[in-house]
Amino acid sequence: MRRPRSPARRAGLVALRARAFVHAVRRAPGRYLVGGALMGLVAWGMAVLVDRGVRWIDAYPLIGTIADAALRRSVEAFVTVLVLAVAFSVLTTAITTLYTAADLPLLLAWPLPAERVFRLKVFETYLASAALPALLTLPVLVGLGTARGAPWSYYPQAAVAVLALYALPVAAGSLLALLLMRLAPAGRVKEVATAASVVLAAGLVVGLRALRPEQLAELTPEEFEAFLAGFASLDLGVSPATWAGDAIWNGLSGVVSPALPLLALVAWASLALLGRVAAWAYQVGWVRSLDGSSRPRDPRPRPAAWWERPLARWGGGGAVVVKDLRLLMRDPTQWSQLLVLVALAGVYLVSTASLEVEGQRFRDALGTLNVAFLGFLLAGVGVRLAFPVVSLEGEGLWFLRTGPIGATAVLGAKFAYAMPPLLLLGLGLGFAQATLLDVSVNLASASIVAGGLAAIAVTGLGVGLGAAYPRYDATQAAEVPVSPGGLLYMTLALLYAAGLTLLLAYPAWTTLVDPAVPVWSTPAGLLTGALAVAWTTAFAGGALAFGRWRFVRYESGCD
Amino acid sequence: MIEVEGLVKRYGTHLAVAGVDLRARPGEVVALLGPNGAGKSTTIRAITGLLRPTAGRVRVCGHDVVRAPLAAKSKLGFVPDRPYLYPKLTARELLRFIGRLRGVQDGDRRADAWLEAFALAPVANELIETYSHGMRQKLTFAAALLAEPAVLVVDEPMVGLDPRAARQVRDLMRGHADRGHTVLLTTHAMDVAEALADRVVVLHRGRVAAEGAMAELRAAAGTGEEGLEAIFLRLTEEASEGPPPWGPAAADGSRRAGETAGRGG
Repeated sequence: MRRPRSPARRAGLVALRARAFVHAVRRAPGRYLVGGALMGLVAWGMAVLVDRGVRWIDAYPLIGTIADAALRRSVEAFVTVLVLAVAFSVLTTAITTLYTAADLPLLLAWPLPAERVFRLKVFETYLASAALPALLTLPVLVGLGTARGAPWSYYPQAAVAVLALYALPVAAGSLLALLLMRLAPAGRVKEVATAASVVLAAGLVVGLRALRPEQLAELTPEEFEAFLAGFASLDLGVSPATWAGDAIWNGLSGVVSPALPLLALVAWASLALLGRVAAWAYQVGWVRSLDGSSRPRDPRPRPAAWWERPLARWGGGGAVVVKDLRLLMRDPTQWSQLLVLVALAGVYLVSTASLEVEGQRFRDALGTLNVAFLGFLLAGVGVRLAFPVVSLEGEGLWFLRTGPIGATAVLGAKFAYAMPPLLLLGLGLGFAQATLLDVSVNLASASIVAGGLAAIAVTGLGVGLGAAYPRYDATQAAEVPVSPGGLLYMTLALLYAAGLTLLLAYPAWTTLVDPAVPVWSTPAGLLTGALAVAWTTAFAGGALAFGRWRFVRYESGCD
Repeated sequence: MIEVEGLVKRYGTHLAVAGVDLRARPGEVVALLGPNGAGKSTTIRAITGLLRPTAGRVRVCGHDVVRAPLAAKSKLGFVPDRPYLYPKLTARELLRFIGRLRGVQDGDRRADAWLEAFALAPVANELIETYSHGMRQKLTFAAALLAEPAVLVVDEPMVGLDPRAARQVRDLMRGHADRGHTVLLTTHAMDVAEALADRVVVLHRGRVAAEGAMAELRAAAGTGEEGLEAIFLRLTEEASEGPPPWGPAAADGSRRAGETAGRGG
């Protein structure tokens, strides 16, 4: 009698996944069509931009002789940054795909070798963490190829080089994640990995900014040429990025570099090793996760914390805020977002402090521009801090939906929860930039008020649109804005920031003409202030009302 | 008191519930039965306000769930079939959250009483993520009963409970009804429904196939003195059902559907 074949063996695990993807596309074709079109547009734009940039550099007489080497170093630096980004993001992704994936017990129960299952999981890890960087890199290489008139063979060579290159951080980061599984306390692996990855990413952002690239603008033409020559001759040594660079540059001339098969071989070997190690680590880690805590229990009743009591007087809304604060403190995927906020604020302050501008008028002009930047920065922070707060209810939404709490109270609680850090950031950065740039009193007050108003607006936009376009199935806050709702939020937040900057044109212009003239006590100044408040209320209030309307009509899953 | 009148729920072209009428009075335990896909969960979700009916009306203690949702929900306690409890909260923190959400006076004292009743007090300060399925199910009951709701809606109450906890939950539901409250439960455990329910409502293909006390159901099904399982199978049997193509019945050519029909008849 023939042994029955499992569905996985019959169809192949990858084919099974591909079929699931096809079903998902068929179910919401519009979503994938719009997403694909947007990605295509971005890729086309990048390719065109690189093509024009390369042609311009090649034609520039001053650096024409070293243009090729400088370009090559630039491409290597670009992919190196993305390689680092992949290495950091793969830490948490690998834990999810190689260790805690919901389908792993089912797949391992099938009559399949564990290694085959984990090969699929390694492939999933690769897709989840390296697909986006690869999609960002490929248009750059296409632009390079079209600008240099590369032969057709260049394009597949460049694609293989990039895909193989990104396999290396996937393997290295995943192996590090598996090591964490061995070292981190049982049941805390994901938290430790997330915290480590966010701290590393925040450090990288601050570190890159600390290089102060604006110093280049202060160089004389001779110094700049010397810098470029040094950059062009920079030797990264024997590194995968250099191998990829070799493969790409040889491909431009129609030559297959020996570095290409070497890179592909190392990538394949790394992923194969990862599959084997993951299969072993899963068994060991699973057994270890069964280890109970030996910490003695303290069953004594604990009263509410001191900080809960004032919030508790607010009733249901206060209860939601207290619950959210507790979850924030205990969930690294949430509190780690605050580290990103601190890193961004640090970068912004370092950038502002590095500006050396002579003359009050120039400082005031720069201060006005900085108000716009502050709005954009807050929009970026809000997408991480405010937009996901409703979605983070996740499967716990049933408590709110079946409880005697209205949508207004729920969104009010979420607004109250998300606003303090954004308000602190807006006011703090508004004050800091006014002080660091030493702008006139009129603009200093405008800067602080604008920071506060922008914080309120992005919180309202984030909470409202986050409620209107929730993703209750997201596993962490960073996933939530990756949606049409997130795109709408960013568009409206940027529109708000642009409008606020325009409204500040009047006090800015008056101050530029005569810094001593009072602005805010005049009828025109008061009207400007009122318009800024109305502009803020329209965005925040409109988004919250829309979010409330959609939240009330939201229906959870059916039979 | 739960009153459901002409409830219709449509998901796109799929009609999940096609005009259900249902009434559960104070002091009564009503069991809502039906095969998978009969519309039980949809009906429960409409009663608890998780879904908006396409047509019809749902009232809890006289309050329309759609028009006066807060008043209706303030009378309601709910235990879902797969309850999600915030894993990063402790049991005590979760019950405190529920108490505040529902405006329960003396919530901490009541929470401690329920934790004791369900033998969860020793682990009340531990994170819920460390609990077993049965412990979570018991905690969900504690959360639902914390405010002593006039109406308790329970979706599959016995899933994951050990025999002692199952008995405790059965007694709790009976006791809750005996104190003048309404209990509506859905279950696939016929023995639980038979032992506990004052009335049974059988849903089939989105409609009420039968309703009444056991004697009335027996009369409707024509099953003599047989138990609820036989009544249920008779009321919901489908002549078109056959053995699954991959099952052993398909391999040896026997007809399992005929056997089932014979047993039911």
